[in-house]
Amino acid sequence: MQVTLQGKPFTFLPEKALYNIQESILIIADLHLGKVNHFRKEGISMPLNAQQGDYLNLKHLLDKVRPAKVYFLGDLFHSDYNYDWHHFEALIGSYTDIEFTLIKGNHDFVDVEKFERLGLHIVKELLEDEYFIYSHQPVSFEHDKLNIAGHIHPGIALSGRANQSARIPCFYLYDGLLLLPAFGTLTGYCIMDRIQEAQVFAVLPGEVREI
Amino acid sequence: MKKQHDIAQEWFTRNNWQPHKFQQDTWDAITSGYSGLLNAPTGFGKTYAIWFGVLQAYFAKKKRPSGLHCLWLTPLRALSKEIYYSTQRVSDELGLDYDIALRTGDTSQKERVKQKKKMPHGMITTPESVHLLLAQKDYTQTFKNLEFVVVDEWHELLGTKRGVLIELALARLKALNPKLKVWGISATIGNIEEAKEILLGTEPGKNKLIRSNLEKKIQIETLLPDEIETYPWAGHLGIQLLDKILPVIHNSNTTLIFTNVRSQCEIWYQRLLDADPSLAGQIAIHHGSLGEEVRLWVENALHDGLLKAVVCTSSLDLGVDFRPVDTVIQIGSPKGVARFMQRAGRSGHQPGAISKIYFLPTHSLEIIEGSAMRYAIAHKQIEQRVPYIRSFDVLIQFMVTLAISDGFRPDELYEEVIKTHCFESISREEFNWCLAFITKGGKSLDNYDEFHKVVVVDGVYRVVSRRVAMRHRLNIGVIVSDSMLHVKYLGGKKIGMVEEWFLSRMSPGDVFWFAGLNLELVRIKDMTAFVRKSTKGKGIFPSWQGGRMSLSSQLTDAIRLKLDEYHKRKVKDIEQVKLVPLFERQEAVSCLPDVDELLIEKAKTQEGYHVFIYSFEGRNVHEGLSALLAYRIAQSKPMTFSLGFNDYGFELLSDQEIPIEEALQNGLFNTGHLLADIYASVNIVEMARRKFRDIATISGLVISNYPGKQTKTRHIQANSELFFKVFEDYEKDNLLLQEAYEEVMTFQMEQVRLMRALERMQKQKIIIKELQQLSPFCFPIFAERFREKLSNEPFEVRVRRLIEQERK
Repeated sequence: MQVTLQGKPFTFLPEKALYNIQESILIIADLHLGKVNHFRKEGISMPLNAQQGDYLNLKHLLDKVRPAKVYFLGDLFHSDYNYDWHHFEALIGSYTDIEFTLIKGNHDFVDVEKFERLGLHIVKELLEDEYFIYSHQPVSFEHDKLNIAGHIHPGIALSGRANQSARIPCFYLYDGLLLLPAFGTLTGYCIMDRIQEAQVFAVLPGEVREI
Repeated sequence: MKKQHDIAQEWFTRNNWQPHKFQQDTWDAITSGYSGLLNAPTGFGKTYAIWFGVLQAYFAKKKRPSGLHCLWLTPLRALSKEIYYSTQRVSDELGLDYDIALRTGDTSQKERVKQKKKMPHGMITTPESVHLLLAQKDYTQTFKNLEFVVVDEWHELLGTKRGVLIELALARLKALNPKLKVWGISATIGNIEEAKEILLGTEPGKNKLIRSNLEKKIQIETLLPDEIETYPWAGHLGIQLLDKILPVIHNSNTTLIFTNVRSQCEIWYQRLLDADPSLAGQIAIHHGSLGEEVRLWVENALHDGLLKAVVCTSSLDLGVDFRPVDTVIQIGSPKGVARFMQRAGRSGHQPGAISKIYFLPTHSLEIIEGSAMRYAIAHKQIEQRVPYIRSFDVLIQFMVTLAISDGFRPDELYEEVIKTHCFESISREEFNWCLAFITKGGKSLDNYDEFHKVVVVDGVYRVVSRRVAMRHRLNIGVIVSDSMLHVKYLGGKKIGMVEEWFLSRMSPGDVFWFAGLNLELVRIKDMTAFVRKSTKGKGIFPSWQGGRMSLSSQLTDAIRLKLDEYHKRKVKDIEQVKLVPLFERQEAVSCLPDVDELLIEKAKTQEGYHVFIYSFEGRNVHEGLSALLAYRIAQSKPMTFSLGFNDYGFELLSDQEIPIEEALQNGLFNTGHLLADIYASVNIVEMARRKFRDIATISGLVISNYPGKQTKTRHIQANSELFFKVFEDYEKDNLLLQEAYEEVMTFQMEQVRLMRALERMQKQKIIIKELQQLSPFCFPIFAERFREKLSNEPFEVRVRRLIEQERK
């Protein structure tokens, strides 16, 4: 779904990512890679292949969009180094023409050097240009730009006649802040308030729709 | 041949008591080396029936070993104390060299260390504490001379996973002491023989079931509205009958008022005070979320006869007898005969006294349950307790428990656990799966896997990580509760615990009712809600989830019978007489079915198209039936349903017309393909997802208690839903996942009962009525807010339609 943010054209992708068309930047939040192994290391059983979907989804998306740049809005890796790193390394290594940037989140503990060796740019808190502020957590200072952020894992609860209801992930735009849905499959949602002024874009299989 | 029972005789004579026959029979059996189950009502000396047997077995020995001789397990700490006082009293009065100690969650560390150094002869404890003992290094020393395990209130533990904890502990203890004798004490239940077999396992040794012929008389009185015409058709509260309760309270010494859920308990307490301010200071509130201190205060005040009434929940179902209590009131359906009898039994403790219980129906149709209950009790229609079987979550926890103490060898452990009723049917492959789960985190093919929990050292399964051991110890047990916040005054005084989700909806300054107090939320910090007293006198009541019990088949059978009596013009109970105008109304707008008829009502409202079916099988079966039938109807065309149900019937609601007649012709109630159809209906996944919450915690996937600070460990917290989803997608054959489905089939769908219901419905004559106005039967279901949904439309289609509806 095409939208205009700050006068610039963007696409809300049903793969749970945002695309800045003019600058060819693909923006992805909250992958939480390595979660399975992190849990297993603690003696908590989670099937090893449960994370495969994330790598496949990421690969499909990169192939489909072929962006010049990718911004990861934090929580790319769930906690410290574990074997998942090798899967990630292999994936990133096969897209040498894409420039990857990680804006660090509260779960990203993998050391900076390791990322840099992969050719990833590391940004500590935020990336700012004339129109946008890209960050993991929504920024707390005053600004007149659009803050594009992750961290929250927004979702929306729908309800209708005959007591029907469903919960789905969404993009959530309100008061100078655009929240991205979490990309990782091993994540949950935070159900957002339905305030009048907020714009909600629900992520459905194959399409994004404004509610 | 009668045996001599010197110790018992001496003590009974001293106290001027005459032993009952069942007590003497039990002493005989115990001293002759039997295991067994004692079935006797409370208040007739069942504790002493067992205890003197144990003492006499001990003192009959020429050489009396030191150390633990008897373990006495109870489901409740309060009960443990009572047993402790009763047994200690014997040792004191007779000057016996037989030490007794308590060990529960409250026991101090100092006391535990003391116990470890020198074990008492008798220990009174809980199932969880026994597992904690099994988690200690050198536990085999502790249990070396153990001769008896007594399981008190076995009927309470039997139908729960705590019962499985006991079965497993007994299997281990029997392996250590092949001559161990096991005795259970149980109230009357429908499957008392089976209860004995489950307790004693597949190799019970010589054993006996001893039943006392003593009976407690129960008198039931239903509190009826003056005018049935104006009493509400739906509701769970029953406040309209408040002025019927006040005289009961005033005319009694002390009254226990049982409610079914905690919110109801809080509301009734407030309303009683509002209606009769003179009760202030004379009534109290008691439920499971209140702090230990508050509860103890109430219990002591009850003991001392300081209270006129206590509004409570199942928190006072069990436990110590409160002698001043002479009246019990049950608000709303008690859901089961055994439960009702148990509550009634909380009054009238003097031998030969009558237990008096009042039943307060919360909506008009529920009045019939008073009459049904009286019938079921008179005809001894008491529910069975269905035991858990194949509880792999508990087995996995138990394996890790043994691995953190002395370790275990799989071959030996397998032989032990298959001697329990619970694990009798598990295969060696299934057992091995559990082993793989704790050593490799399930199937593991990846060489780089970093899974770490239990390791194998020279064929012995052990936990070597101190962190894993500590975390496990803190999480031993099978009672899983929601994430709770402490409620404290600003000064730090504890009030109790409230579910996190309730308080998370509130902001500082909001006012709510809790523990009978009007409280203002000040702030939430570190899993604690700080509050101060409010004078606003308004506020919301926390609603606690869960506790939605289903009416038992004993009661639903009795209800069907009582409705049929109206048809046969045999109305005689006052409840039935009172209901005549309601029945007439039902007949006028629809039909009142007799026992051979099945009523189906159709209605169209602005919510959509409704179909109501009255099978009178309890809400669990109705939940399953509604999903099943909705699924079958949706086979002819894609449809989405909202499902409603109560204990009497269920409702299918759709935004399209429901082709019920067509479905009936196509064999809607067929029992063929039943299992496949049930599994195909979406709800079963939802139900399993909820069941999986407990399983995930018990098996250690989701960790509820952490050593030290909670906040630091957020990164290894995942909710059970995530695990459920992941296993559903990637590991369908996971035994824990399968366990969730099996629990749903047994305990929630009540598969056996559902099958019987369908068979009955097939034979019944079907009557379809189109309603012009809602009937007394359908209204309570219509008004239920708690609903399920079923759809065979693709997810996108459903969500798209929801979005369209929202846009309008």
